[in-house]
Amino acid sequence: MSISTASAADSAVATNPPPPVRHNRRPRHAREWWLGALLVLPGMALAVTFKLVPLIRGVITSFESSSGFGDSSFAGWDNYTRMFDDPVVLASFRNALLVVATLPVWIVLPLVLAVLIHQRAPGWKFFRAVYFVPYTIAPIVVGIMFRQILSPDGPINALLRAVGLEPLAIEWLNGQNSALFSLVAVALWSFFGLGVMTYLAGLATIPEEVLEAAYLDGANFWRRLYSVVVPMLRPTVAYWSVLCASGVLIWLFPLIYALTQGGPGNATMLPEYLVFLTTFQFLDRGYGSAIGIALFVFVAVLSIFSVRHMFKEGTRKPR
Amino acid sequence: MNRRHSAQIGRYLLVFALVVVAVAALYPLLFTVVSSLKTQTGFARDPLGLPAGITFENYVEAFKRMNMPRLLFNSIITTVGGLVLSVLAAMLIAYTVTKLRFRGGKLVFLFIIITLTIPSQAIIYPLYQTVLDLGMSGEYQGLILAYAAFGLPLGTYQLAGYFQQVPDELIEAARVDGAGHFTILFRLLAPIATPALAALAIFNFVWMWNDLLLPLVIMGGSDSKTLMVGVSLLSGQYDVSVPLVSAGLIVALLPVLIIYLVFQRQLVSGALAGSGK
Repeated sequence: MSISTASAADSAVATNPPPPVRHNRRPRHAREWWLGALLVLPGMALAVTFKLVPLIRGVITSFESSSGFGDSSFAGWDNYTRMFDDPVVLASFRNALLVVATLPVWIVLPLVLAVLIHQRAPGWKFFRAVYFVPYTIAPIVVGIMFRQILSPDGPINALLRAVGLEPLAIEWLNGQNSALFSLVAVALWSFFGLGVMTYLAGLATIPEEVLEAAYLDGANFWRRLYSVVVPMLRPTVAYWSVLCASGVLIWLFPLIYALTQGGPGNATMLPEYLVFLTTFQFLDRGYGSAIGIALFVFVAVLSIFSVRHMFKEGTRKPR
Repeated sequence: MNRRHSAQIGRYLLVFALVVVAVAALYPLLFTVVSSLKTQTGFARDPLGLPAGITFENYVEAFKRMNMPRLLFNSIITTVGGLVLSVLAAMLIAYTVTKLRFRGGKLVFLFIIITLTIPSQAIIYPLYQTVLDLGMSGEYQGLILAYAAFGLPLGTYQLAGYFQQVPDELIEAARVDGAGHFTILFRLLAPIATPALAALAIFNFVWMWNDLLLPLVIMGGSDSKTLMVGVSLLSGQYDVSVPLVSAGLIVALLPVLIIYLVFQRQLVSGALAGSGK
């Protein structure tokens, strides 16, 4: 099956039904419709060609059995049933759940830091700038950087030995339990700045006087955080939570690639890395696609909340 | 101890906590910079301390080994291309669905933001297949178009939010004055949406420049591979010394870091304005 740009463009047009006849009586409307169709065409063509078409092809491929560079044949649900008996797949989704279980840290840590910065601590502009720096560093670079830092003789272990915590100086990336922990910690290092920035954006919408009043009433930091900030910040907290929930599983690819390659054993195997490995290393395209579709469903369920919110926001009538 | 004192102590604790996190955020970067300035023997002797003497040899070597100029060029072309294309396409859609009498506009908008739920990681093989069928595997345009498609949903959403806030009367008035659609879009709406455009540009720049999976699959080992693919090859070569790898990493992360530090103000105000609803 071959897809050309032209056919993608055609299907993009097809999703916009032609205007009903009554519009033709008002020439300006008709003209505007054609103009609109023309203007949305590039974006629609992009979205159809590089997202919708691959998704559909992914679903089709997931029902095929193929190995190596050979032809493929119809396999029915084989790839999907095979997943339930595959220890690697099961390990990857179990690890995914473990990663999802760390979500509270992803949500709360940036929130606390953002609130601390927001109360205009001395040098807050500096801290705000510094906290975002890790996010600007490419994850693959972060991964290689931390492979050096977490190495058995690296600075982390040197620090632990120096402060007398020798027993904690372990092979961070090579332990059955510590590897996944290290991976998540590095990911958190890499992304918490984005969370701080997001929360700061939300905090800016809270009227200064409200926080001021709580402060004058003698509410301490945690009390203000819990009773004033969080309730008023609910949309931002929700946005960041949804972003993290769907993101933690798809942000990790370059980190796994650089840090652990899924090992030791399957300790850091996650679905997104397994899709890549199955498809491009083991050349099992059908199976790889099936795992990919499972991952898509997982992510889509988590993202549907944000999409609903975005749609309502984007189509709201102004004032 | 009166309240003033405890407030003072609280303030110190607060700054202390912020400093600890700042050190944690910067130390890995610092370690890598210091490592990159050591000689190989210097690093072996004292991997953690400050370098005895500073050398830039590793940077010269990394430039040669990794074919850095070409990698940088490839990354710039694909990132800028993807960035411009995604923002332009998003602007056109946002304008159409918010400011034109366009039936089906809501449907288009919904479709575009729904594609947000399709991560590249889940459809990487069929995506590769599609790029291959288009004859764009290993070509700049393959990666540029893919980037544009993946940057589109968020861009459309953000810009639509901005355009929506511009009163229709303003646009009517401009039209009466004889302004065409493109004048309205680029001379009237774009300046109003500048914070969103700036934030969008920086966020897209950061992820397109830093992304690994798409260029890895679309560019593979071709001469058009991006800097990050080049960097990823470092992670497999164990004969490469830590100082050399570190130098390569610093070169790879510097462009985004500089852009971030230069445009920091716009980024913050854009992020503030963008999600401040």
